[in-house]
Amino acid sequence: MVDRIERLTNLLALLLETSRPLSLVEIAGELVGQYPDNERSRRASFERDKAALREIGVPIETEMVTGGPYSGQTTYRIDRRAYELTDLDLTPDEMRALQVAVAAVRSEPGQHAIWKLGGALDDERPAVSAVIPERPELPAIRSAVAARAPIEFSYRGDDRKLDPWGLLLRGGFWYVIGHDHARNERRTFRVDRFDPADDDGADTVRVGEPGSFDRPPSFDPRTAFPADPKQIGHGAEESVDALVRISALRAGAVERELGSDRVVERAGDGSVVVSVPAGNLPAFRSWVLGLLDHAVVESPDDLRRHLIDWLTDVAEPTTETIRP
Amino acid sequence: MSGPRNAEDRLRRLLVMLPWLMEVGEAPLDEVARRFNLSEAQVQGDLELVAMCGLPPFVDEMVDVFVDDGMVFVGVPRLFTRPLRLTAPEAFSLLTSARAAMELPGADPAGALGRGLAKLAAVLADAGIDTEPQGDDTAGVVVDLAQPEFTDELAEAAAAGHELAIGYYSPARDEMTRRTIRPRHVFADAGHWYVLADDGRSHQRRTFRIDRIESIEPTGLAFDIESVEPPERFFDDADVARATVRLAPAARWVLDQYPVDDVVELEHGWVEVRLPVSSERWLAKLLIRLGPEAVLVNATGDNPGVATARRMLDRYDEHRR
Repeated sequence: MVDRIERLTNLLALLLETSRPLSLVEIAGELVGQYPDNERSRRASFERDKAALREIGVPIETEMVTGGPYSGQTTYRIDRRAYELTDLDLTPDEMRALQVAVAAVRSEPGQHAIWKLGGALDDERPAVSAVIPERPELPAIRSAVAARAPIEFSYRGDDRKLDPWGLLLRGGFWYVIGHDHARNERRTFRVDRFDPADDDGADTVRVGEPGSFDRPPSFDPRTAFPADPKQIGHGAEESVDALVRISALRAGAVERELGSDRVVERAGDGSVVVSVPAGNLPAFRSWVLGLLDHAVVESPDDLRRHLIDWLTDVAEPTTETIRP
Repeated sequence: MSGPRNAEDRLRRLLVMLPWLMEVGEAPLDEVARRFNLSEAQVQGDLELVAMCGLPPFVDEMVDVFVDDGMVFVGVPRLFTRPLRLTAPEAFSLLTSARAAMELPGADPAGALGRGLAKLAAVLADAGIDTEPQGDDTAGVVVDLAQPEFTDELAEAAAAGHELAIGYYSPARDEMTRRTIRPRHVFADAGHWYVLADDGRSHQRRTFRIDRIESIEPTGLAFDIESVEPPERFFDDADVARATVRLAPAARWVLDQYPVDDVVELEHGWVEVRLPVSSERWLAKLLIRLGPEAVLVNATGDNPGVATARRMLDRYDEHRR
């Protein structure tokens, strides 16, 4: 038996060169001695090869024969135009720039794309790099955004249907922003929190009919999704501002994070009071608590009370039972 | 480059190697290996396997390639002259890499990268990724790598080999430190920017979070720059102590955010996890943030959340409006 790489290469060559679609019997006849004689194991080997070629992106077309002695048989071929990469005519400096970009992100699929475009592996380590998380759902969502096709997915147990307007990577996570059908308003979803596909093998993201919606012309994911983490998941209009005292040790960092216009008071000991949007309570609380004893909420009262209760709960853990 | 490679990976690599070889005609084996991130033995082995593959007896429909004396030679080009089109993940990755690079310090959007990206529109469309007219859809995919203050200066110092004196807030000790650093690499990961640098204080290579740097000043000293790999994730360390924590449904984000050893599902959507604890202070902070949504079941020492929460409550007593 030949090496699998040889058989795959031969199969690829045959399906690319054939002038008409071929049935499995014809394929096995051409690739003499490479597929098992037994019909069932031949079919199994071929299915495995077909899946391997599709996995690396080879577009294999299948056709069902109707009429004639081979009626009902499936035939296979590869359309060379669909197989081959369009020539891009990249200039050397453009190629080099893309190569450096992929090296800075250290993406494996990106490196494969560079090779296909005729570039090399960039073995110089750039002084700056970024980790961009890769998610299997992203290409499908991206193409739905471009095609204006709705997507369906399950999110924390709920089925959602969304007109996806755009994808945003921020704070290390990918978000999709769009119009939620059931809730009839703009919503944002973290892509890595999509529920995984069902056991029956259905895709995590199902893409609907292209051209199904118009995206608002002024839409920009950056502004649709405020940079201030305490605003995430909320409309700006319902925002409440809290006054938070920050100790001298962390005052500089907080001022840089929020901007100097958020500082409402500077005390002689170096501490500052900042005004912080608190519309999204969990996000606000997490931010304040993350500063530990360097931050104290001074007002409004209900927020201050909420944090004191929260801390009291941690300071006096329940002894009778361990929840749940 | 290491580890066993399956048939798909080998074929995938061959299908980019062959068109390139056909274009250049011949190339030194070591150059081919370096270019495609393989060992010379892997290149030679794979090329020898596919040599004469194709559709015999038609010579022009067979792969005609051989390796001799450290050189790779390619004969009559006919099969696999063009690379396979991009797959959707490859196209998406290329697009986001280029968008990310545009965000990095020192990027020039009007330059070669921008022009290359515009030319990509056609192949992106082939891969089903982008059917927008002429790649003008910047709103469709946005990579936001907002940089804290000093990121540019640190990147420049790393590229030029300039030593810096910095003021750094150390969260482990909760104090401000002064130190000299030799920046080696600046990188973004999971929403934060870091600088990997030789630390004059500990005499070790350390990773600093840039948003904790309070001040920065050149010392006037220069050092030899070297190519440095950014670290893999810093958290996963087998030597680090573990704590067992029960988490309410609302606290499940901990599973996404931090490495956990064990997850046991409990009643009412709660889970019990065992997670590495880099310092008591880190665990205290996590417990404080989780509040009633978490219960510490087991740790090596006392519950550090209790003492910290009491200290924080004292501060609330001191500061009233």
